Amino acid sequence: MESDNRGIAVCLTLILAVVLSLMPLSGDWIVWKPNFLLLTVMAWVMRWPDGVGIFFAASVGLLADILLRMSPGHSVIVFALCAFALALISRWAKYLSMLQRMLLVALIISLVAMFEAVLFILYGRPSGIEYLPMKILLSMLAWPFIDRLVARMQPRRG
Amino acid sequence: MKNVFNRSSTLLRKFLTVSLVAVLLMLVDNFTPWLKPAYSAADNLVRPLYLIANIPLRVQEWSASSLTPRSEIESDNLRLSKESLIYHGQLQRMSDLAAENMRLRRLLNATELVQDSVLVTEVIGVSANPLSHTLTIDRGTADGVFVGQPLLDAEGLMGQIIEVHKRHSTALLITDSNHALPVQVLRNGLRSIAEGRAEYNRLNLKFVSPTADIREGDKLVSSGLGGLYPAGYPVGTVLSIVSVPGDNFLKIDIDPSAEIDRSRHLLLLYTSRDNAADAVE
Repeated sequence: MESDNRGIAVCLTLILAVVLSLMPLSGDWIVWKPNFLLLTVMAWVMRWPDGVGIFFAASVGLLADILLRMSPGHSVIVFALCAFALALISRWAKYLSMLQRMLLVALIISLVAMFEAVLFILYGRPSGIEYLPMKILLSMLAWPFIDRLVARMQPRRG
Repeated sequence: MKNVFNRSSTLLRKFLTVSLVAVLLMLVDNFTPWLKPAYSAADNLVRPLYLIANIPLRVQEWSASSLTPRSEIESDNLRLSKESLIYHGQLQRMSDLAAENMRLRRLLNATELVQDSVLVTEVIGVSANPLSHTLTIDRGTADGVFVGQPLLDAEGLMGQIIEVHKRHSTALLITDSNHALPVQVLRNGLRSIAEGRAEYNRLNLKFVSPTADIREGDKLVSSGLGGLYPAGYPVGTVLSIVSVPGDNFLKIDIDPSAEIDRSRHLLLLYTSRDNAADAVE
């Protein structure tokens, strides 16, 4: 029953993340918009590693590819990489303070963004690497809100 | 300890499986059209999410229009009436010039220019990927939209349709890094290619030699070469010209005429060529 509730919670947070991702922004801001879908998946992998794993992250990645009009498979690999990294460290990551978690998220987002930039270069498209520092900073600042939202959506024990 | 290693190897196995599938998907998508129908169907399924994401913007627009004071609306109305009068005057002169142009073309036995017709459309979604400049409009095959159809806003060329569904379509903007369009300088007819570079307010002008007659502030219009965009529509203004020693071509930045990231109401263009094709069909 608890798992069902969590499933609904995951769906609700993902819908919110999709809306935030698709919400139109002016051209000057859109380049810095954090990847809300990726952050939400990361928060769930950290909070519920047994329920939200690599396959789930890859499925959300496929959804992101469709929504963001990318080549199918691009976000699949990026989301799976993030979930893999987080699942490896999830056992001790839950004992980290918020600031440490924010830094961890920034580190993972940086690594993933560089991997993504390589993929873009392979496609012969602009890598957008010049926007990375601001994007990572904004992702870091968005993290506490997403993490708290995910924590609140989890059913309480006892 | 053994448990930890088991868990890590399971995770690695899962990650490698997913990566393999992802790489296969990317290869299939890049080299074959097999995924296109599935992708198009999935795009239709997620369309309602775009509408939901637009709700905050609609609410903001609605509240902005509802809370505007009556005096402001009246002054806006007066200004628009005056503008409409001025444009009607200019249009009369334009139709006179167009008629004269046609007469002269007939005298020269040149192809007759037929006036382009347009269809008003509204933007219902903007690509959330900052490096892919596409947008979704609320017209589809039901309205006669077709792939390759030019899209304009009130100021200039915006892009072209790349995907058509029944009730909506996707357009590739001229600022996308995969987009290039033939242009010419309005002042002297110098031809070149304006290429997108994934920035909403900049285009690059390619293949202009250092000896070419081009200046900052020159207006660029579509040249009509390539057959996709009709000739004479505003594309942008030359913003800066840099001559890099050793380079064969100038580095020219263009400020697009269209309000690429702001316009909500656009025009789909049915050119004389399309009308002629329809007539033949």
